[in-house]
Amino acid sequence: MAVVSIREVVKEYRAQDAPVRALDGVSLEVEAGEFVSLVGRSGCGKTTLLNLAGAMDFPTAGRVVIDGEDTARLDDAALTALRRRKVGFVFQFFQLLPTLTAAENVELPLQLAGESDVRARALERLRLVEMESYADRFPHQLSGGQMQRVAIARSIVHGPKLLLADEPIGNLDSTSAEVVMQLLRRVADELGAAILMATHSLEAAKITDTLVRLRDGRIEERRRLGAAAERVPLG
Amino acid sequence: MSRWRVFYRLLGRPLLHDPVRTGLTVLAVALGVAVVVAIDLAGEASAGSFRSSMETLTGQADLEVTAVGGFDERLLGDLVRLPHNLAFSPRVEGFARVMETGATVPVFGLDLVGDATLERAQAGGAESTFDFEGMDLETAVWAGEAVAAEPGRTLRLQINDRVLEYRVAGVLRGEGFQGVSVRDVVILDIAAAQRALGKLGRLDRVQVYEPEDESADWPAVLRAALPEGAEVVPIGSAAEENRKMLGAFRWNLRVLSYLSLIVGAFLIYNTIAVSVVRRRPEIGVLRALGATRGDVRLAFLAEAAVLGAAGTVVGLALGRILANGAVELMSLTVQTLYVTSAPGRIVITPARLLTAAVAGVGVALLSAWLPAKEAAAVAPTEAMARGRRDFEAGRGVGRRLAWGGLLALLAALASLAPPVGSIPVFGYLAAVLLLAASALAARWFVRTASGLGTRLAFRLFGIEGFLGSRSVAAALGRTAVLVGALSTATAMLVSIGVMVGSFRETVLVWMDRQLRADLFLRPAGDPATDRYATMDAALADAIEALPEVAAVDRFRAYPIRYDGMPANLGAGDARLHGERAGIRFLEGGDARQILSCLPTGPYVVVSEPFARKHDVWTGDHIRLPLGGREVDLENLGVFYDYTSERGAVIIDRKVLMQYLPDPAVSSLAVYLEPGADAEAVRDEIVARNPGRELYIATNGRLRTEAIAIFDRTFAITWALEAVAVTVAVLGMAGALLALVIDRKREIAVLRFLGASAGQIRKLILTESGLLGLLSITLGTALGTALSLVLIYVINKQSFGWTIQFHWPVGLLLAALTGVYLASVAAGLYPARLAARLNPIEAAHEE
Ligand SMILES: Nc1ncnc2c1ncn2[C@@H]1O[C@H](COP(=O)(O)OP(=O)(O)O)[C@@H](O)[C@H]1O
Ligand SMILES: [Mg+2]
Repeated sequence: MAVVSIREVVKEYRAQDAPVRALDGVSLEVEAGEFVSLVGRSGCGKTTLLNLAGAMDFPTAGRVVIDGEDTARLDDAALTALRRRKVGFVFQFFQLLPTLTAAENVELPLQLAGESDVRARALERLRLVEMESYADRFPHQLSGGQMQRVAIARSIVHGPKLLLADEPIGNLDSTSAEVVMQLLRRVADELGAAILMATHSLEAAKITDTLVRLRDGRIEERRRLGAAAERVPLG
Repeated sequence: MSRWRVFYRLLGRPLLHDPVRTGLTVLAVALGVAVVVAIDLAGEASAGSFRSSMETLTGQADLEVTAVGGFDERLLGDLVRLPHNLAFSPRVEGFARVMETGATVPVFGLDLVGDATLERAQAGGAESTFDFEGMDLETAVWAGEAVAAEPGRTLRLQINDRVLEYRVAGVLRGEGFQGVSVRDVVILDIAAAQRALGKLGRLDRVQVYEPEDESADWPAVLRAALPEGAEVVPIGSAAEENRKMLGAFRWNLRVLSYLSLIVGAFLIYNTIAVSVVRRRPEIGVLRALGATRGDVRLAFLAEAAVLGAAGTVVGLALGRILANGAVELMSLTVQTLYVTSAPGRIVITPARLLTAAVAGVGVALLSAWLPAKEAAAVAPTEAMARGRRDFEAGRGVGRRLAWGGLLALLAALASLAPPVGSIPVFGYLAAVLLLAASALAARWFVRTASGLGTRLAFRLFGIEGFLGSRSVAAALGRTAVLVGALSTATAMLVSIGVMVGSFRETVLVWMDRQLRADLFLRPAGDPATDRYATMDAALADAIEALPEVAAVDRFRAYPIRYDGMPANLGAGDARLHGERAGIRFLEGGDARQILSCLPTGPYVVVSEPFARKHDVWTGDHIRLPLGGREVDLENLGVFYDYTSERGAVIIDRKVLMQYLPDPAVSSLAVYLEPGADAEAVRDEIVARNPGRELYIATNGRLRTEAIAIFDRTFAITWALEAVAVTVAVLGMAGALLALVIDRKREIAVLRFLGASAGQIRKLILTESGLLGLLSITLGTALGTALSLVLIYVINKQSFGWTIQFHWPVGLLLAALTGVYLASVAAGLYPARLAARLNPIEAAHEE
């Protein structure tokens, strides 16, 4: 069963004059361990699709099913609960809370879910992204790439089945971007998370399993890239 | 012109886009201005432009002749015989209670038949003439229109302890008599008044009209013709004296009224500072486009001026409304503590308008000065800068703390300085310095406390508490200002609370010792310091003769003027007082010894306020004009007294009778035999004295009423405090709102990370609660320091009372809980807004 299943989704925004159709009949499924890249030019609907996939927003028509749960049937509290257990987000501008240290940022999703004894798990995730030694630093003491690695640790700290990444390397230099992409790959492979990533970079998309090209709110192309076995092993 | 349009678009328009916050800031300023205006107006109406009721009929006379306890009417004959063209208007004065309404009004006895000056004075109103043709002058009264509506009616008046019936011979209207309002006075013929007031053959006052065709040193001429004890003073000097006496009282209220404005200043500072932070990129653009630093500074000062002006306009209207209530509260205090007076009209003069405008706009400009300077320092390159910078909060914390310490030190020094006149200028200065010191220390305090409190907040309130306390520390520039504002309001609340609580406790303890008699009697009617109603001495003798009665202390009070200020002269049975009452001396030695010495000669003791006001201590001599003689009296001691701020000189009754032989008494303290029932004796006295209007209180009742009066006089103080706290809380709501708006992105991210709407609400509420808690802590510390200044410096220098320090724990707990709940409530709307924020719009922003 797919971790997230998007079926015939339409999303319209009410703009001042005419409604804007951001998504127009999009269907998409992402399996556990599958890494899907979403490409297309700015304004084609990538962010909108990610928001729907993460149950942050509702479609105008169509359905979004996350791990078997139809989001249309859930109220705000249930959606929050769903996100807490199953969804992680990574943003273009990292969005680390400036007042918290790296470790505290990573702990945050667990604490918001009301869990205690969270430090060990946070450190474990920081180790995974190789940021353990920066645990007590504040975001402004980190480079962009380091911040994004901490953000990734934060997005997976609660072991989500679905990871949504919106332009995660859009704000990084190429070296940092490479590191972040490798990390995401590992998250899919080792943790078995389904990843849906919006990106501008076709270069980055090469590391993913499936490439979906959006254009004006429709899927223009859907292509399976090489099998997992053929990929370069992580260094 | 077009340049200003650009300024308006980039800097001014955002104000309109944020109407709630702008509105809250304007409202906060408006309240501050309103209170200042209200107290100013009310002060003038109830105490400033007032003439005491006794002066209602001073008219156009030039001088007046008075003496303690009045003088023999034969003196008038001596004056009339002077070889000059002087005109004289003799009068007898007192108060009467109108039985129908319960109102107390001044009574004047005028020589309707022989006084030529009356006709001169009546020229104005035809209706206010004294047409006594065919009247029985013994029972005729002319009453102000507020007392009696039409002639011919019967008017029942209680004068001293008797009720007498009069016929209204004429109604005095408007300003018909001698150019002053006579709405609520009663005028009798002088002979009738003398009889009613128990002043047969005596006069209280002779007004003197100087001749127009002759010039001389008239006071000297008069003095030469008068015996020693009589004084000649210019008309209106009593008003001046009253004004002086009320000076300290009005000053204290005025200073207190500025409090809300100070709190408002913090909030304007915060509003403008937030504007600057938010519009850094726009400022950069403007600078890049060629605006000078001066332009930018001017733009932000203009923003503050607009807020201040709007607040002033609203505040003026609001202040005019509040003034009505303030007049009522203030004149209540003035009446009970100082002088019987009818409040004047509330008049808004151009000068007052100017005061309000200066207060509102001036304070706004002053408080915007620093943020505007910061704005002016923004470099053109910041147009391209990314992200928002908050205040440069981390810097200067230590430096500010050091400055704060220095100011606190200066405050300590200022509190040691003596008053200027009777105004404790340096006491106020010390208070202001303390406020400034605490404002400077606020950043350090907020940073340290929220740093230390983070773990605790986590344990108590979970992750929301943790995040809240972190962001309080992170937005230090703003939160410290909020804590500054609310802690200032809290500090004043605490300090006034401690001061009033201490005062109250001191009075209670004092009453416990002092009020030992079982029954207290005086003529019925509202008590007031300047009414000297009497009961005849036979009543005292009759009461003393009752078998249950062990002793009666006869007390007589006269108004005196000492050193240009009104005071009271009291005469009682000193020996009895020494044996029975628990009078306590601040100076002079053992109470019993001092009091047993009093009857042996020209000795007095003085109350603490008198001693402080006039610098009269043990062993000093004072001279008082008594019964036609200037008497030299030695002061044997200074006693604690909280009944009158005027100050009192106490003499033994027998000694006073040598100078002023009038045996009538003002009040009686009755001591019963052991085992006698006070209530039963009271009923018996009432039953045996039909036709006497007496106020008879048992010991307990007197105390209860005294404390009730005490509490009433502080009502206005509490009202002012409440407004200051309201201003702080409003400002807090506005500032939290701004904080939410500026943290949209962070809040959105939290939602993405799994926070529920409820958690976001709790986060903001925890923050506001935390700010409340920090403010309360800082405010309590500051308030305690201020209360010391209030009790030991300001109050002592203004009023001359020794107050024992006392924590009114219950009161403070209630007040602080109130402040805390209000601060949490201030977070309700911002919290709701934060919880409803659409996260997907904000989370992808940079
Ligand atoms: N809140 C919104 N209101 C109105 N239109 C929106 C809103 N969010 C996105 N859009 C419009 O929807 C379309 C898709 O936007 P988006 O999903 O952000 O594209 P992408 O992420 O691919 O750049 C764009 O035309 C955008 O202008
Ligand atoms: Mg996008």
